[in-house]
Parts: sequence; structure tokens; C-alpha cells
Amino acid sequence: MASSLLSPTQRYAAGTLFGLAIHQAQIHQSHPLGSPNHNADDDHDRNDEHHHQQRISNGSSSSGDSVSEDHHLWVHPDFSLLRPILQFLEIDSGAWPGIEETAGASLATHHVGAYLRLLSEEIEESSSEKKDLELGLAKGVDGMKASMEASTDSETKKGKQREYAQERREKYSVPETPETPSTSDEREVIESIQERTVAAVPEESSSHESEYKFNVEPVEEERILGYERKITVIYELLSASLASMSVDSKKSKQRKGYDARHRVALRLLATWLDVKWVKVEAMETMIACSVMALVKEEETNKEQTDPEKTSWAKWKRGGIIGAAAVTGGALLAITGGLAAPAIAAGFSALAPTLGTIIPVIGAGGFAAAASVAGSVGGSVAIAASFGAAGAGLSGTKMARRTGNIDEFEFKAVGENHGQGRLAVGIFVSGFVFDEEDFIMPWEGLTNNLERHVLVWESKHLIAVSTAIQDWLTSSISLGLMKQGAMLTVLSTLLTALAWPATLLALTDFIDSKWSIAVDRSDKAGKLLAEVLLKGLQGNRPVTLVGYSLGARVIFRCLQHLSKTEHQANLVERVVLLGAPIPIKDENWETARKVVAGRFINVYSRNDWILGVAFRASLLSKGLAGIQAVDTPGIENVDATDIIEGHSSYLWATQEIMDQLELDTYFPVFRGSATKK
Amino acid sequence: MDSNSPEFDYLFKLLMIGDSGVGKSSLLLSFTSDTFEDLSPTIGVDFKVKYVNLGGKKLKLAIWDTAGQERFRTLTSSYYRGAQGIIMVYDVTRRDTFTNLRDIWAKEIDLYSTNQDCIKMLVGNKVDKESERVVTKKEGIDFAREYGCLFIECSAKTRVNVQQCFEELVLKILDTPSLLAEGSAGVKKNIFKQKPPEADESASGCC
Repeated sequence: MASSLLSPTQRYAAGTLFGLAIHQAQIHQSHPLGSPNHNADDDHDRNDEHHHQQRISNGSSSSGDSVSEDHHLWVHPDFSLLRPILQFLEIDSGAWPGIEETAGASLATHHVGAYLRLLSEEIEESSSEKKDLELGLAKGVDGMKASMEASTDSETKKGKQREYAQERREKYSVPETPETPSTSDEREVIESIQERTVAAVPEESSSHESEYKFNVEPVEEERILGYERKITVIYELLSASLASMSVDSKKSKQRKGYDARHRVALRLLATWLDVKWVKVEAMETMIACSVMALVKEEETNKEQTDPEKTSWAKWKRGGIIGAAAVTGGALLAITGGLAAPAIAAGFSALAPTLGTIIPVIGAGGFAAAASVAGSVGGSVAIAASFGAAGAGLSGTKMARRTGNIDEFEFKAVGENHGQGRLAVGIFVSGFVFDEEDFIMPWEGLTNNLERHVLVWESKHLIAVSTAIQDWLTSSISLGLMKQGAMLTVLSTLLTALAWPATLLALTDFIDSKWSIAVDRSDKAGKLLAEVLLKGLQGNRPVTLVGYSLGARVIFRCLQHLSKTEHQANLVERVVLLGAPIPIKDENWETARKVVAGRFINVYSRNDWILGVAFRASLLSKGLAGIQAVDTPGIENVDATDIIEGHSSYLWATQEIMDQLELDTYFPVFRGSATKK
Repeated sequence: MDSNSPEFDYLFKLLMIGDSGVGKSSLLLSFTSDTFEDLSPTIGVDFKVKYVNLGGKKLKLAIWDTAGQERFRTLTSSYYRGAQGIIMVYDVTRRDTFTNLRDIWAKEIDLYSTNQDCIKMLVGNKVDKESERVVTKKEGIDFAREYGCLFIECSAKTRVNVQQCFEELVLKILDTPSLLAEGSAGVKKNIFKQKPPEADESASGCC
């Protein structure tokens, strides 16, 4: 990679750091940073135990301690996660095993500092030209970040969302209930129930669990690294992640697009380097845009000049070909996707703004600046997947009746479409009263995801939601609430046997509608998985967020994915809110495994609509929407303070999402801290 | 399904250090695969595993071979941690590689090794080039005695004393209770057991 801004030694260090980040990300799947478990180990230096706890258990576990023997590790060559990066960085293949072992080694975290130091060292005299380029790149990233921030007119959206939230709150809020502190009797009741629900975590401790006191401090050595150098390192690693190349195409699976695990590893690396995530997002967009620019150029060339003079030749002449292009991996990707008209369309939308986005470099030098790090060849792969996305998600309208689903359609929300965003968010509502409820709860989110909402089975969902709401406001249940009998779901249900017969009759009415909706959500989940497997999101990492039955759709989707060979390459993060999913009898661990980054279960102890609808299995199996899920690696967030009833998710989702800070690598829920 | 007994009793981590070109990688290759070839300088860190039977025990040796080049010096520091044995290699035909052990490498060990009882071994390589020798065996022995470490001279090329070099080091580790405890496979097995069992995929669904 003649055009790399880093010396071979620095590239070696960068590659190893990325390997370390990948491995740590896998560890954090089951031992999130900041979980009590993790803290305890980290504090003492008796690392031999520590490392074995950290090392990912693989069932057969015995051989231990060398990556080459452990096929479950992400840094193992089988996954094609690390080696293509190393190849892109042109690190001598003889050094690969050492890097892999270092990344997966016991005391890996101690290597981070050493490799950062290696990165900072200026062994060979770096030319001033390279320095200028580094500076240019850093300025470009800053410019892009600024423009991304400016372009989000989040305030108006937020205002709109606030109005909606207000309106919904007035309409569907749970009638005022006297907030009496729970009596000791009640606590006893709760405890006795929990003994029965094996998986349940004692409520007291679980509610504290969400207040992780832990923060990831940037690694100490981070300070000796210059800002420009950090940006360059991340930029090159990002380029490498986007490059579509396979080291050994026969043995290993071909990677397609942007792997969610890479994005998670980059997120961790950015945390180590103390680089704000939004800057990484800016870099993603820069690469995407520069590719679009090249594609556009190619298209116009095709029309005018003779076919001999392809832009490939042009790129070569310009010396902007990355290693990926040379190896031919990316060539395939180009022919695959670039013809898609969607890209051209996307570009023309962007063209006027390109100049202002990167004021320092200017539109003309933009593509060149973006490719100084040798990214172009690689990022073409993303361009290809991009094109698919244009027609992909929003085109997925289930005109044909698939899998017994009447309605399954993606709608674009937010302003990040066609903007070269390399991460997708899919948001699924599940408790809705009209069509608007599929969209509005997600309207005001402020992140840089390209956001899509899934509109599914609205008829059934509206029917069941309305039925529940009617029941809820019926005089009998109101009366019950006034007696304070419904303080918590668990205690309510325990007394269910003593409910008036009329009330039970009413719930029968709900039950039939509910079971249809549940059935549909399971089917929609499978469909969603198929959409992701087909890569309709443009082979970009996906963040899945859903509440109520929408959360169930997502959970089923994950389960379906876990049955395929895909391992966390598609789904980056998951947030389930008020999920009607039993805790027992469902394999949460396998669902966890297909999510590369954070997996959050938001529940409310007061969500007794959910409890009533789900009462059949609640007592014996537990329920994710009102309890913590005790599976390693799942962040449980008690949002009881915010969620007073199931319909609250319509208007409070925004607030919860803000507090979760999804863009942070480690578990966060600001709720408990900011409340006071 | 799991918890089949590990195929080794102890796992030891060994580290090889010394100047560039003294033959660390060759020595390791000679030990692990009984071959000798001209190798290009190691980039960063290399890693090899070797299973041996010694003292009636099945041992797994995880050996880290570090680059001697100056530019990678900063890396080596993080690999000392947790090593039960450190092999310091010099070239008997190059005096500077010997003096650097005293001036640089021994200090690094003192600075970075976290293991008080860690066994150190001084190895003079390339004794096949007897005619070019500049560091005498006596000098090696004296330094080893002064520094409190084992000593051997060997040749990666002719494989003289290569096995012995690693064996002596490992036997000494086996003799040291604290190191033995660290490397015990039994300790690890228990910790693995704390892991939640991996339940088999349930063909879930309530349709």
C-alpha cells in the first residue's frame, strides 16, 4: 500500500490493536465491560485466573490458550475477520500468527498500551508530505463531522416528536394510580414468586445493576499519540474493514460488506484512543462519499470515452489503488453492484454538498484525500452494498403474501438517507393504535443511523392494542387499581385467581387477539431475518430496536439468525423494550451470540398490561418485559421510573433511547443518575 | 459433552528475548520442528506451541518469540507479564549481543517481569561457528552465576543442546511450586466450569 500514511511498523501495531479490539469485543459479548464480574477481575493482578475467565469458553474448552486451536474465537482465521485486515494493511503474513495469538492471549489488555506506544514512535523520518496528508485527513474528518452535525435539524424533529408524545400520553396514559410504597407483604409476595421463576434475578439487585458505575477510561498511552495519527489509524482500519477481500477464499467464508463485529471493534478502539465515535461515523461517510464520487465518474466516463479507458486504469494512474484492488477481491464487488442506478441517484443528491462538506480539501481533492489511506479499492465493496440498500429495505414491501404475513414494509424515517451512512437502524413498534405509531416513536432519535421503521400487521396490532386499552379503562379494572391492588405486575397476577369473573371474561377477549398477534410477530421475525440474510440493508451493520411485540419480532429474528452460519456479522446492537418473551424456555444465549455489540433488555416492573396479556406463562417462565434477563452479556435496564404502563413505550421510548447512549461502547443508562 | 480432561497437565508460558539476529526464531524452529533455515527478521512477536513429556507430566509450552530489532523494543515489555520462563539468547560470535544482555535485556526483565520466581536461562547460540567465537563459555557461566540463571550453549543449526536448553528450563519450572501452581491445568478447568452451560438450541416457538 504505497499510499499508506503509516510506516510498516505502525501498520503492524494498528493491525494488532485491531485484533485485540476484536477479541475484547467478543469477550464483552458475554462479559460486558463494567459488569460486576469484570470489575472484580480487573482490579487484581492475579491474571492467570482472570484470563481464563476472560477467554471465551467454547464448550470443549480444554485445549486452551492458543488461538489456532480455538475455532470459536473471532480472531481465528476461520472467521476471516482479522486476516483480511492484516492483508489490507500489507503486514507480512509471517507475522499473522503472532498477531492472532497476541490478540487472543490471556493478558491481552496489557498489550494495548505497548502497541499504542509502538504506534506513536517515529522511527523512520516521516516526510513532511505525509504529515501534511495526515493533517489534511484529520481536518477533513473534522469538517465532515461538523457538517453532519449541522445537517441534522433535530430540533424541529424533536419538537414534532414531543407534540406526539404529549398527545399520546394524554390519550393512553394509565390513569393515576396512588403511588404507595410497596409494603413488606408485597415484597414477600414478589420474593415467593421469584423463587418459582428460576431465571429471575432478585428485583432489588437487578434494579441496581443498571447503574454501572464503571467507565472505560481511554488507555493511558493514548495521550502520547497525536490526534492526526489516531485519525489516520482509525481511517486505515476502517478502510480495511470495508474492503471486500478474502485471504483464502477456499477455506474461509467470503465476507460481504461491513461486518458488525468490525464496527464494534472499531468502536472499542476509538474508545481506547479517546476519539469521539461521531468522528468515526464521519469517516464512514467520507469513504462512502468518495466511492460514490468515483462511481459517478466512472459512469460518465463510460458514456463518453472508449471502454479501454476504464476508471480502473485511471485509478491506477492516480496511484489511488488500495491493496484490495490489486488482489482482485474488490473487482468482483465492483461488477456486482456498481451498475445499480441507485448509487448514481444517491450521488447526484450529494454532489452539491460535497464541496462544503470538506471545505479544507475541496470537492476536487476530496476523492483523492479520502484515498490517501489506500481505501478506495476496498471501499468499493461498500458502494456495491450501498446500491442494494437503495432498493433494498424500502423496496421490501410484501406485496406477495409471504409466510402468512399480510403486511411487512420498511419506511424511511429521519434525514440520514442517501447520505452515505454506513450503519442502519431498524425500529419496530409493537403496541400501536394507528399507523402513525409505527413511525412517531422513532422520529426524534438523534443518531447517525440510516433509520428505517418496520410497519407490520398493523390491523392485528391495532386490534389487540385497542382491546387491551379498552379493558384497561374499563370501570372494573380502574376500580381494582384504585384499591392499589395493581402496584406491581407480579403481585397483581398472584391475586388473579381472585379476580371477578367479569374481568376474566374480558381478558378472554384480549387473549384471542393477543395470540394472533404473537403468532404474527414470530412470523415477522423470521421474515426480518430473511431480509437481513439477503443483505437488503446493504450489507451494513444493523441496530435493531423494538418495543412490545416489536421486541418479540426482533428476538425471533435473532433466533432465526442463530440457526444459520451467520455469527454476529449482521447485527451490531439490539434494544428490546417491554418484550413479551419468556425468560425460561427461550434460548437467550444463542440470541445473544448473533449480536456483536450491546444487547439491552429494557423492562418495567409496573408494566402489568404485558403481565396480563402474558399471564399464562409469566409465573412459570418469567417475562423479559418486566424482569431482568439473567443471561451473561445482556444489559438489563429497569425503566420503571419512566414506564408506567405498556403504552408508555409509545412516548417514552425516545427518552430511554437517549439515556442508553447507544453510541457508547460500554453499558450506559443515565436514567438513575440524572433522575435526581 | 464438554469437560473432557485437558490433554496436558501444565501449561507454561516461555518468552525468548535477545538482540536481533542472535537466532531466537531459529532456535525455536529447531526445537519445535527439528528444522533449520535462514529466517528473515521476526516482525513483532511470533508464537509457537510445543507439547512435551517431562518428569512424567504432559506439558504444553506456549513460547513467545519476540523481535530483537530496536523498533519493536517497546512491544516486548508487555510480553514479560505472566511468563514462567525467560530465555535470553546471545550469539557467541558477536560480543555486543552478549554485553547487551547485561546492559539492556537483564534490566528489561527486572523492570517488566511480574513473576518473582520466574526462571531465566542464558543461551549462547551458534556454537557451530567455533572458529568465529568471541564470547567464551567461561564468560557465559560467570554472567549466569552472577545473574542467577541457568546457562547452556547450543546451536540451532546443528541442533546441539537445543532440546536440553528447553528441557532444563522446564524442569526447573516444574521444581518451583509457585510456578507450578500457575501453570496447573486443573485450576483452569474449574474456572471454565463456572461458565453457564451452553444449552442446545431449542426448537423454540409457540406456534
